[in-house]
Amino acid sequence: MFEVVLNGLVLGGMYGLIALGLNLQYGIARMLNLSYGEFFTAGAFASFFAITLYHLNPLLGLLVSVPVSFAANWLIYRFLLLPLIRRAPNQDALDGDVVLCTFGLLFVFQGFEQVYWGGNVRGYYFLSFPVHFFGASLPANRLLAFAAAMALGGALILVMRKTRFGTALRAIAIDPIAAGLSGVNVLNLSALAFALGGAMVAISGALVSTFIASSASSGIVYTLKALIVIIVGGPGRMAGAIAAGLLLGVAEQVGGYLVDPGLTLAINYSILILVLLVKPTGLFARG
Amino acid sequence: MADRSKRLAFLATIIATAILAALPLGLSAYGVSTGIVYFANIALSTAWALFSGPTRYISLATAAFVGVGMYTVAFAHVSLNLAVCLALAAIIGFFFAFVVGLSTLRLRGVYFVIFTFGLTELMRQMSSWYEINITNKLNRFITISVDSIVIYEMLLVLAVIAVVGSWYVSTTRLGHALRAIGEDETVARHAGINATWVKVLVFAIAASMMSLVGGVYVLRYPSIDPTVGFGNSWSFQVLIAALLGGPRKPWGPAIGAVLLVMLSDFLVGAFSRYFTIALGVCFVVIVYFIPGGIAPRIEQLYGMLARLRQAGRSASDASTPQAPPTEPVATDNEMGAQRRAVVPRRRSALHPLMRRLTRSGPRLVVRDSAGPPPDAMLSVYGLRKAFGGLVAVRDLSFDIPAGGITGLIGPNGSGKTTVLNLITGELPPDAGSIVLQGDEIIGVRSFEICRGRIARTFQLVRVLPGMTTRENVMLGRMFGSDPTSPAAALREADALLERVGLADRAQLIGSQLTYIDQKRVELARALATRPQLLLLDEWLAGLNPTELKIGIDLIRQIQREGITVLMVEHVMEAIRALCGHVVVMNAGMKIAEGTAAEVLSDPKVTQVYLGEDDAAA
Repeated sequence: MFEVVLNGLVLGGMYGLIALGLNLQYGIARMLNLSYGEFFTAGAFASFFAITLYHLNPLLGLLVSVPVSFAANWLIYRFLLLPLIRRAPNQDALDGDVVLCTFGLLFVFQGFEQVYWGGNVRGYYFLSFPVHFFGASLPANRLLAFAAAMALGGALILVMRKTRFGTALRAIAIDPIAAGLSGVNVLNLSALAFALGGAMVAISGALVSTFIASSASSGIVYTLKALIVIIVGGPGRMAGAIAAGLLLGVAEQVGGYLVDPGLTLAINYSILILVLLVKPTGLFARG
Repeated sequence: MADRSKRLAFLATIIATAILAALPLGLSAYGVSTGIVYFANIALSTAWALFSGPTRYISLATAAFVGVGMYTVAFAHVSLNLAVCLALAAIIGFFFAFVVGLSTLRLRGVYFVIFTFGLTELMRQMSSWYEINITNKLNRFITISVDSIVIYEMLLVLAVIAVVGSWYVSTTRLGHALRAIGEDETVARHAGINATWVKVLVFAIAASMMSLVGGVYVLRYPSIDPTVGFGNSWSFQVLIAALLGGPRKPWGPAIGAVLLVMLSDFLVGAFSRYFTIALGVCFVVIVYFIPGGIAPRIEQLYGMLARLRQAGRSASDASTPQAPPTEPVATDNEMGAQRRAVVPRRRSALHPLMRRLTRSGPRLVVRDSAGPPPDAMLSVYGLRKAFGGLVAVRDLSFDIPAGGITGLIGPNGSGKTTVLNLITGELPPDAGSIVLQGDEIIGVRSFEICRGRIARTFQLVRVLPGMTTRENVMLGRMFGSDPTSPAAALREADALLERVGLADRAQLIGSQLTYIDQKRVELARALATRPQLLLLDEWLAGLNPTELKIGIDLIRQIQREGITVLMVEHVMEAIRALCGHVVVMNAGMKIAEGTAAEVLSDPKVTQVYLGEDDAAA
């Protein structure tokens, strides 16, 4: 049982890691980017090619995937989403437009990945030796992802709480109009948050690819996973995303252990539905 | 004209259906299967738009309902007759959606999108788990073979039912209610619409159509597995088709479905391995260049042609301003309408009827000083409402005398609007009771309170922005205390618009109206519900002196007709002129009550309004 919970925590750390970027995009910049997961696969593929084609450390793939993903997401916000924001008469209309537009992008990216990288599942071995402690053993690559999740999450929490930049982002998350009236450059900072979200997901893609193989069509799975985590944790709350990730990971592992491993996704969705019905603002949201 | 075009459309539908029904006789097998794909998509996207078009809930649950239909037939066809299977599919789809809707339709926006997507995923996971663990086989075989021409004809029938049915619904009370909910659910509830019931019902009807289509469509397959049954592509395809065609027109999704299937076929042929990319680019293009879909554009074009023809026919009558289109489609169009809205406004501030009202009415109403009549229309007792630590209303008790005008005044933040929200069921009180002519109304839902003949206006005006002035008012008549058909409501709405001085702006849409006109629409909508008690929340605020005088006379006229009025107001001139009975609130408590003259000379009242120092001076 201890090992099950431990596995759950490590898995949950990975969920939190995947969700951090989308939390910047959806929680702060208020854009539900359905093509989010495509940058996860981009990060994964960059690492895959680093090790298979060039025999480099797969994490060196980050040197390419992070800047590319940052720039691409900034461009998406600036040139595709901003016109929609300017045009939208209300939030409902904007949400609809953004969902459609980013869904189109998802197809475009997925199409490119399929054409240039093929539809195969791509995986490789890296840091796959077990690490033992307290009688349980965990693969080192998963531990690395967990550590990265905690470090990145912690850093983001600190930035959000302690810096001017973070305070401005929190203000935008709560009320973009009031933030603008207080002198925050809402559009520039939202674009930056959106781009940072893209960079984060590329990192998570690279780390997760060390133990889970990806294919061109697996992006949407991670987008959904991240969304569930964010909604359970409360949009815009970095600590909430990490906590919700851990909660979902543990619930999945323990539920799979006690009931049936085939039902792990069902457990995830059940938690999501429960949260939506009972506390739609998220478990760890203020107020 | 409208009748003729309606008859033409009807005739065209029948002829088209007949031709399509006869087609398979001369079609190749490929043609028949293409037809099947078209009809399934038309039926599904029309069903999707029936609910999601007017309410603006973006649902990705189409695949879940299609899958329910497929699996119902796949399970049941082994032991039951096909017709029974299909009926079962529709019924199960209906109840499944009913339960889902009941628990989730209070989620809005992105949450609903994610929930519905998750629902489909959940269904797929669960069915995979069931098939693998319980039946030990992922594939479920369809053992009856139905001729593809029969499938073609069945889906044709479903597509026609969907399109004609959704056109029919859009003309009924249900259709109007759905649109109102999409525009502003709070207003809809306060106009007497049982929003929850309407949403759940239509969601379930649409889902039952989807399940039926799924049930028929599955007959094409030799076997199904969960990725076919609950495949997400259904949800997305249908959503895109409906948005492409125009989800707020009954025939829009059908056009979208046809175009999308054609487009997909073309892209597969032309780009083959770049198909996905091309499809994605098409989505983005749709979002940027045809927001609102193709159907409104076609109607716009048609309307333009009709107007041109009319202008040519009666060049001498050209001075009559053309009624602007009901739908705000293009920006330049909106601008034009706005200009038109401003010009007649000035004129109608002194509308003939209003002018007569102003002249005939006495300047000040003389009320008997014997105090309020003994019987109360509404009694509030011991009312309390706190928001966290802030107590907005504290132990408040007062009566609203029947047939009179009661004023509820007090400084900003004293809890007046909260009182109105408590009376209309918008907020539940923490303690106390509200009695309407002997009946306790605490816990009664907003729409029932409206039907119980209490109507209100909102402090921050809430006109349904996408509906015309006339439709806004019709809404109150159709769902208020004495509900009528849309046709009857249409006739009475015009009389009410005349009354508030908006007769010449009946065709303008809500978002094109000026602030004052929006207030008039709200009043007309409230009156249309046939209230016995009318709650006005600062209805006179922001009016210029002329408008104020007209407004005061209008309120007095309303009272003379036997409607009791409670007005929250800051305009003392109006309070003095109208209110026989005034309640003064400060910090959630009643600090004075009596005639206008009494309370306005009460030192406590002057103190809260002017501050201690000025009151003493």
